[in-house]
Amino acid sequence: MTVDQTLQQVFRLAIPEAALVGTACVLFILSTLRMSNRTLAGGIAIVGLALAFGLYDLATNFDQGIRTVAPLLATGFSTFIRFTALATGVVLVMFCWNECDDRHAADFHACLLTAIAGFSLVGSANDLIVLFLALELISIPTYVMLYLPRPNDVRAQEAAVKYFLLSVLSSAFTLFGFSYLYGLTGTTNLAALTELLPRVVPGEGGISGLIAIVFVLAGLGFRVTAFPFHFYAPDVYQGGPTGTVAFLAFVPKVAGFAALIKLLAFVGDANPVANDFVKKVMLVLWVLAVITMTAGNVLGLLQANIRRMLAYSSVANAGYMLIGLAVLPAQAYRSGTDPAAATGGDALLFYLIAYGAMTVGAFAVLAYLDSPTKRVETVDDVAGLWSTHPWAAALMTLFLISLIGLPLTAGFVGKLELFISALAAPSEGPMQEEFRWLALIGAINAAVAAYYYVRVIMAIYLRTSLSAPTPTMRAHPAMLAAGVCALVTVVFGVYPKPLLDASWRAFDALRTAGP
Amino acid sequence: MLTPDLIRLLLPALMGLPIVAALVLRFTSGTRSRGLALAFAIVHLALTALVVVSGLELIQDDPNLSLGIKRQEKKLERVFAPQFVPGDPMPDGRASYSTTNDILPIYGPNPSNPHERVKIAAAQFFIGLDGLNVWLVALGSFLMFPVVLISWDTVHEREGSYYAWLFLLQAGLLGVFLSFDILLFYVCFELTLVPLLFLIGGWGPGPNRREAARKLFLFTLAGGLITLLGVAGTVLYVYERTQIGGGHGELTFSIPRLADLVQTGMLQKSEASHGLWRDAQTYLFLALAVGFAVKIPLVPLHSWLPGAYSEAPIGVTVMLSALLAKMGTFGLLRICMPLCPDATLAVGMPLIGVLAVIAIIYGALCAYAQTDIRRLVAYSSVSHLGFCVLALMAFSPASIAGGLLHMVNHGLSTGAMFLLVGMLVRRYGTAQIADYSGMWSRLPVLTFFMMVACLASIGLPGLNNFVSEMLMLGGVLDARNVRIAVVPFTVLAALGIFLSAWYTLTMVRRVFFGPIKEPPTAQPVTDLTGRERLTIVPVVVLCLVLGLFVQPVLDVMYRDVGRLAQIGDEARARATK
Repeated sequence: MTVDQTLQQVFRLAIPEAALVGTACVLFILSTLRMSNRTLAGGIAIVGLALAFGLYDLATNFDQGIRTVAPLLATGFSTFIRFTALATGVVLVMFCWNECDDRHAADFHACLLTAIAGFSLVGSANDLIVLFLALELISIPTYVMLYLPRPNDVRAQEAAVKYFLLSVLSSAFTLFGFSYLYGLTGTTNLAALTELLPRVVPGEGGISGLIAIVFVLAGLGFRVTAFPFHFYAPDVYQGGPTGTVAFLAFVPKVAGFAALIKLLAFVGDANPVANDFVKKVMLVLWVLAVITMTAGNVLGLLQANIRRMLAYSSVANAGYMLIGLAVLPAQAYRSGTDPAAATGGDALLFYLIAYGAMTVGAFAVLAYLDSPTKRVETVDDVAGLWSTHPWAAALMTLFLISLIGLPLTAGFVGKLELFISALAAPSEGPMQEEFRWLALIGAINAAVAAYYYVRVIMAIYLRTSLSAPTPTMRAHPAMLAAGVCALVTVVFGVYPKPLLDASWRAFDALRTAGP
Repeated sequence: MLTPDLIRLLLPALMGLPIVAALVLRFTSGTRSRGLALAFAIVHLALTALVVVSGLELIQDDPNLSLGIKRQEKKLERVFAPQFVPGDPMPDGRASYSTTNDILPIYGPNPSNPHERVKIAAAQFFIGLDGLNVWLVALGSFLMFPVVLISWDTVHEREGSYYAWLFLLQAGLLGVFLSFDILLFYVCFELTLVPLLFLIGGWGPGPNRREAARKLFLFTLAGGLITLLGVAGTVLYVYERTQIGGGHGELTFSIPRLADLVQTGMLQKSEASHGLWRDAQTYLFLALAVGFAVKIPLVPLHSWLPGAYSEAPIGVTVMLSALLAKMGTFGLLRICMPLCPDATLAVGMPLIGVLAVIAIIYGALCAYAQTDIRRLVAYSSVSHLGFCVLALMAFSPASIAGGLLHMVNHGLSTGAMFLLVGMLVRRYGTAQIADYSGMWSRLPVLTFFMMVACLASIGLPGLNNFVSEMLMLGGVLDARNVRIAVVPFTVLAALGIFLSAWYTLTMVRRVFFGPIKEPPTAQPVTDLTGRERLTIVPVVVLCLVLGLFVQPVLDVMYRDVGRLAQIGDEARARATK
């Protein structure tokens, strides 16, 4: 297949995303009409997501032409991200069903769908520019989503402005890193980059390669809330509308990690010629993982506000996920025919889903408990919740137990896989000893984190109610979203095989994507 | 009597019945819950008794296992031989001591086609009975009966939830004892935390109950997470080591398989790799032992204990001291010792052994200094379990048998003491020693049972603890361990027994003898009621029975204890080589 043909058929690969953006356009138009209301907007959004799901088949299963030319590529990885995106979309539309008033609902859902389209596109992006556009497609609607539901609230405005400024800064970092990658190789195509970079980094290009990686990490670190790029998180999580915050806690994180997995795929392959370079990259990731989880957990201990606590928990969880990213390059050193018990990548993908279910679920319960006059903010607000709202209390406890990482929840399996991947680092590779320490630091961190999660559980069950939250009828779709998250948490905690398989296949497709 | 096939079917019910009970009880309330809970406890006890009694013969003497007398033959015999494993494939109609019930499969690329995934291992639902766990399972089922009865009139609010959590706790506990899969073991070990958190935090009588519950939860969770690393590390290390020299490694979560691999596969490798393995064992042993040490608890990690024991509702205190602490010692026995035998001798005895001796003496002195009876019994528990840990670390046949027997005996005697203290506190509402004096004349029956329980705890000949303490002392004094100063250890441990007599009898003298003095109460106090007698009599009778007819109990553990001790002997031989 020629270059022309390859480029011509690329648009087929983005049909589901096009459907999402098309639906978003319909919603934008709808918002100008007087007939617009929440139910209609939510319904159309769900239809749009279903449409994207239905069109999925068109975007796969055909000869994709030349990999090093195509800006989009359908692989097992893109399928995984796309399904995650669509499922997240459905949950979040339910979550945000009543987040806005009737006038703004259509705009809000349109922004949400656009962001979901960007999320979905990150998986199939095979070009730095497309990747950047996909990431921006997530960011830009987010600014609106932070502002729309509560336009008159000062703290929501502060959250939106804070997120906007830092997000733009991080985009600049990312672009700067990308420009170095382009400068080193002369191409923006990811498949070509992955082939070329291992040949460039051994020589003079090593320093530039490192600079590129550090800047990309800084830019994407903002999206995955890695320390020290997390500073916006507590304020935004506390002040932003609950639905948008749940979106922020999950979508940019998955997108950021997906981009990082793609971009760093070349590092391990460089090992035969540039051992030193690989070691440096692994060390950077190792350090980032340690300080991110430690800082997140230590700062989390100090929080009395549940939303801020969840923000720091999100930082700490990013640290656990970075374990998976850090051991990723070591897999290339593995010799012999014996299969690895766990590689970093599949553990990371599994943990992302588990984390998404428990965090979005926790926010959904908070959204359910919110009332227009009073938001659930502090630990005191949920005290004695079991007596006033037993189901909300049970769900919240389930999510917190999963965050602690107790068995029979997805959080436990995810943490176990991440620790196993660190302990199973091949002895032929560098830093095997350090990865054992990383697992130990992770375990100690998980124990520290338990302190602030248990505090909330104990408040819910063992204290008496001070002022019971008064959820309104409007909040019921949020409870439905929480129910879905709970289902994911428990099912993949008890029977993790399907998700483990899926995440392994996704990661394997990325590693060994044939022409 | 049940056939082996029937036992195989019923064994999961030992874990399943408490879970069903919990689900049913959750939706009951008031006095109906306690009656139902008692019924469940009795049914479970009957089931366990049936399973254990019918299973004893096969556990004791399995014709499938060659009980080789020659050392050479015995060396190749499997380490653990769990009987009645549900899901055993039974090739040729004989037990294979393995199962096919996978829970968490681990997949890896197929060597012939790297894009295809094949199962390379799985964490399994692998439970069974053997000489090491059978008595603990029986104890775990038996003690539920007095625990439900003692809660009868000490728990008055949300009874349904209380008994539901209690049964969930029992399910986790039995899971720990029954499991032969290292991950299942860990899962059950960790899952006991949630019921404990709610039981202590929700139903504890004191004002500090929430703090106590949180402390217990966080301590145990932190230790448990380190143990999890040890678990994963052990599995992966065996995997890595078995693949040296070509061929595929064996990734397995089955404890019997891991123990066999450690024995046959890895230790017979070249001399050069032994040093490497010994180092790794040391780290793995320490990681594994942390979680167990917190649970027992050993002395620097014990600070959660006094709070939890004195703030918990009395039924939960009985569970904590009599059963949950045994999860720690059992973990040492089931996981640390067979999987890291060299490390058990090299660091176990010098480090854990020293901590255990410190626990014996420190626990005894603290017990003496307590002004609260519950705390006194709690610290005496630290002291006695230190003894048990020391015996296990000595790694000789007599000491392992003694340690295992002591787990059961201590469960009975301390359980009885806590039950009686609970009955006393229910009458007067205080556990301060200074508030009481001369209770014998007021409560003669309670005093009688308390005397028996205390004498059993001290180790009076004819009562249960005497046998196990003698076995443990003899085992610790094993001449082959003399290199690491066993004699001082034995002397200190014996001093611990003496101290235990001192503080226990001092407490008895102050509370039950002397001029009468009782705390003021609203209505006149009566002696033990019929239900309370029903609660305590079976426990005390068992104390007596185990003191007099202990040989059948020891016979059942003979095979497994002997094989475990042999692993220790081989490790000793390697160390001196």
